[in-house]
Amino acid sequence: MDTKKSFYSPSTVTMVALMFVASAYFLLPLFWIIIASTKSDSQLFSTNPLWFALPFNALNNIFNTSSYDGATLWRWFSNSIIYAGSVSAGTTLISAMAGFAFSKYDFFGKNILFYIILGAIMVPTTALVLPVYLLMHGLNLINTYWAVILPSLVNPFSIYLMRIFWMQEFPNELIDAAHVDGASDFTIFFRIGLPLVKGGLATVALFSFVSTWNNFFLPLVVISKSNLFPLTLGISIWTSLTSTGRGPSYGAITMGILISIVPLILAFILLRRYWQSGLSSGAVKG
Amino acid sequence: MKKIKFQKSLPFVFLSPFLILFGLFYIAPLVYGFYLSLFHRYGLRPATFVGLKNYVQVFNDANFWFSILNMTKFFLIQGSIMIGLALIFALYIDNEKNHFRGLFRMIYYIPFAIPTAISGILWGFMYSKSLSPFQSIFGLVGLHPNFLSSGSLFWSIINIVTWEWAGYNMIILYSGLQSIPRELYEAAHIDGAKSFDIIKYVKIPLIVPSLILSIVFTVIGTFQIFNEPYVLGSMTFIPPSFTPNLYIYTTAFSYGNFNYAAALAIILALVTFAGSMVFMRFAGFKEE
Amino acid sequence: MKKYVISLLVISMLLLSLAAFADTVQLPTYNGPAVTLTFWSWVPGISNSIAAFEKAYPNIKINYVNVGANFTEYNKLLTALSAGSGAPDVAQIEYQVLPTFISYGGLVDLTKYGINKYESLFVPWTWNQVKSGNGVYAVPQDTGPLALAYNKAIFAKYDLTVPTTWEEFEKDAQKLYQESNGTVYMTNFNAIGASNVNWLVGLIWAAGGQLWTSNGNNWVQTINSPIAKKVVSYWGNMVNKGYISSYEPFTSDWYNAMSNGKIASMISAAWLPLLLANNLSNQYAGQWQIVPLPYFAGEKSTSGNWGGSTDAVTVQSKYPEASMIFALWLNANPTSTTLDNENGGLFPAAITGLEDPTMHNTSTNTDKFFGGQDVNQAFFDASDIVNVNFAWAPWANYFFNSFANYMNEALSGKMTWDQAMDQLQSSTLNYAQTQGFNVK
Repeated sequence: MDTKKSFYSPSTVTMVALMFVASAYFLLPLFWIIIASTKSDSQLFSTNPLWFALPFNALNNIFNTSSYDGATLWRWFSNSIIYAGSVSAGTTLISAMAGFAFSKYDFFGKNILFYIILGAIMVPTTALVLPVYLLMHGLNLINTYWAVILPSLVNPFSIYLMRIFWMQEFPNELIDAAHVDGASDFTIFFRIGLPLVKGGLATVALFSFVSTWNNFFLPLVVISKSNLFPLTLGISIWTSLTSTGRGPSYGAITMGILISIVPLILAFILLRRYWQSGLSSGAVKG
Repeated sequence: MKKIKFQKSLPFVFLSPFLILFGLFYIAPLVYGFYLSLFHRYGLRPATFVGLKNYVQVFNDANFWFSILNMTKFFLIQGSIMIGLALIFALYIDNEKNHFRGLFRMIYYIPFAIPTAISGILWGFMYSKSLSPFQSIFGLVGLHPNFLSSGSLFWSIINIVTWEWAGYNMIILYSGLQSIPRELYEAAHIDGAKSFDIIKYVKIPLIVPSLILSIVFTVIGTFQIFNEPYVLGSMTFIPPSFTPNLYIYTTAFSYGNFNYAAALAIILALVTFAGSMVFMRFAGFKEE
Repeated sequence: MKKYVISLLVISMLLLSLAAFADTVQLPTYNGPAVTLTFWSWVPGISNSIAAFEKAYPNIKINYVNVGANFTEYNKLLTALSAGSGAPDVAQIEYQVLPTFISYGGLVDLTKYGINKYESLFVPWTWNQVKSGNGVYAVPQDTGPLALAYNKAIFAKYDLTVPTTWEEFEKDAQKLYQESNGTVYMTNFNAIGASNVNWLVGLIWAAGGQLWTSNGNNWVQTINSPIAKKVVSYWGNMVNKGYISSYEPFTSDWYNAMSNGKIASMISAAWLPLLLANNLSNQYAGQWQIVPLPYFAGEKSTSGNWGGSTDAVTVQSKYPEASMIFALWLNANPTSTTLDNENGGLFPAAITGLEDPTMHNTSTNTDKFFGGQDVNQAFFDASDIVNVNFAWAPWANYFFNSFANYMNEALSGKMTWDQAMDQLQSSTLNYAQTQGFNVK
């Protein structure tokens, strides 16, 4: 008990104060976008950037951003959900299966294969995206949801994570016991295994959802129909149109940005138990 | 009852969905990319086989090497700042005696949830003179910086990338810290070590693997920077040679030189690989 | 007064002669099967013209897609062409990148479908721009002849005279700089960013400069010609002296400076007034005025072009003829050009579009913003004196990036403006040669 420092000791106060300064830095852009999205364009340019201005223009901006170009923003919003949702579900299952194989079986070339997969993390996306574009074109998948979904399902880092979760959360003795009871490996995997690694599944699902929702480069290359754009691409195109004077108002864009980031921020706050426990349960122990 | 043996084919049944996709969307494109890099083709005319000529051109391409150098500089500066901050944050939230640990962890990590393309636009707006909250802040001391001028752009992007990824690296390092057995601290404490000594002699040496992981991810990420300069390109001029990925993208999609771009991409992959290896070797980092 | 009557007379004669032309050529009809065409364009409000087209041609449906402005679209188009699918039937392409797409092999030579018949419908210099050899690869859509837009209130406040030559312009700039203590700029240096450097090319064009000439497949590149250097140094020196600002055009900062009276004038293309009227605050509404582009003393009054587009048919189109009919109607039918002018600020390349009386209706918001001036008429006059001999090269995309880069270097003082032009010439030449072009 004697080691517990007083809340008021100078070094503690300084440290906490510095951490709050850092918090202000991380929150500033979010605070700014919330303020900006409630302003009309002339208010944006003439009023204090860090405080609200009257008349409150948020509803008007919501209307403008929602109605621009035939409610295209909400179309992009649902596209982002479709992309991120299906990739998240698919990647989680695929990675769980592959992680299971890497952690519970011995097979020829296992280590080499695993290193190849880990090495793949280093391959720059441009090296892949260009040939993938041509490949997609060969499969006639350009300008379809598949063009974004299929390549995103391959996520080496998820395999790495799942392998660790299987090793830590699912003891080999359980497999032996289940085998004794006559369970097949598939039963073991689906019925016994998956529920035990659900923390890992949630982590992988959340992370692949985020990385797909945030993906920009792949859709930029493989999607040219605006009704298939994810939010990231759509909003960047709005911004570039507006920078040439031919796009939606800044009010509509800032509101669009707010709409595009709120779901994930909420998900992160609500699901913090998963990513925090997922990551700190040794997911990245070297 | 007889124990059922694992069948030899079983692991591959579990692996097959991944392996098929991995083959299709990683291996095949790499092989195909290498194949493309051996040809020269302009427009829709037939391609001609040129062997390694594109690679010779890459080695003489001042723009490409400028971009590599630029990102090396970026990594050294931005990587140090970001990982330094991440380490301070991680040490803070790891220490149970500190206040508001959960709150800070949450706040610092939030930027990770925001798409980098959107972060780029958001900061771009905040950098522009007419929308910026900074102009009034800097204006108080008589400064009117132009964050988007060619001189300050490099630093402005350093700030964006640090904002985006500091929290993520904090979590990597925090995971490493959390896995240190607490008894070690008590032992050190009994030996009379101050908390700073514990950090220096116990915590940091024990999270070297996490630090290396952080650094390697930063190397990979830095050489792949694309979204931020790409979206900022609609607000200010950014030369294509700013980052290798921007240069490769411009070469392929703006100039239509897909074959040369394929050669550039392969060299970039090798440079990234070499850069990551340096750190792994340097720290004697081994998997497992 | 006399001058006014004469110019009115000239205009009406011109209009009459144009009307006579227009009457001789009818836009084609379409008798084929029902088809749907994909069309890429970023003209604001162009869906109104498309709806009018679909009404006039019930058998042709248009699937309109906005994939982004200029480079964003070109990158997608180039990729789709290269891959062999995914390109639209008709795409909006600016004049300066047309040779790139033609040389790439991505566009249909429309002479096969009899486009030569319609040459007389368009302003002559625009037809030169869509031609390559004997082929015609696009339908001119709009143009951007240059004139000077200035803010009367600021000119009055600082007692500036409206310049007719660049020498007078610079004197005004100097006076403004001194009187306002450097807080108000004479104009903005717009050649910032790859999609804006054409502003400066337009000024070189107006001064009679040429960047490229070609004879079949043999090219000569003269980016650092004395004329080009003279123009670039003229503007560069004014930036160096602080007389003119250097905001990236069309950004919020630029609009704001223009709105707040920080910038006294703007070298403006014909499509710009609508953008100004729509995006600037009302502080100086009615105070803006358009006068002819100044010229270097001793030369004659000329103009250049900044921006403007064409609509081209891609080789991936299954219905090239229907596509051509669409592109022609969209850009030569007065209903369509008027709609595009009102909604998108397009200044038509078609004579029928220019002559249409609605173009000279001065009750529009744009005209009101310019004090009730017939804005289109001002640019109509500018269009007449655009130098006809100016050609772009197929490696223009590289040139734009490089140009923007060297302008940036010169702006930040890393090299002189002359050095920038010399290096631009050599690096662009080097690039074109490695691409296999026969160029000196």
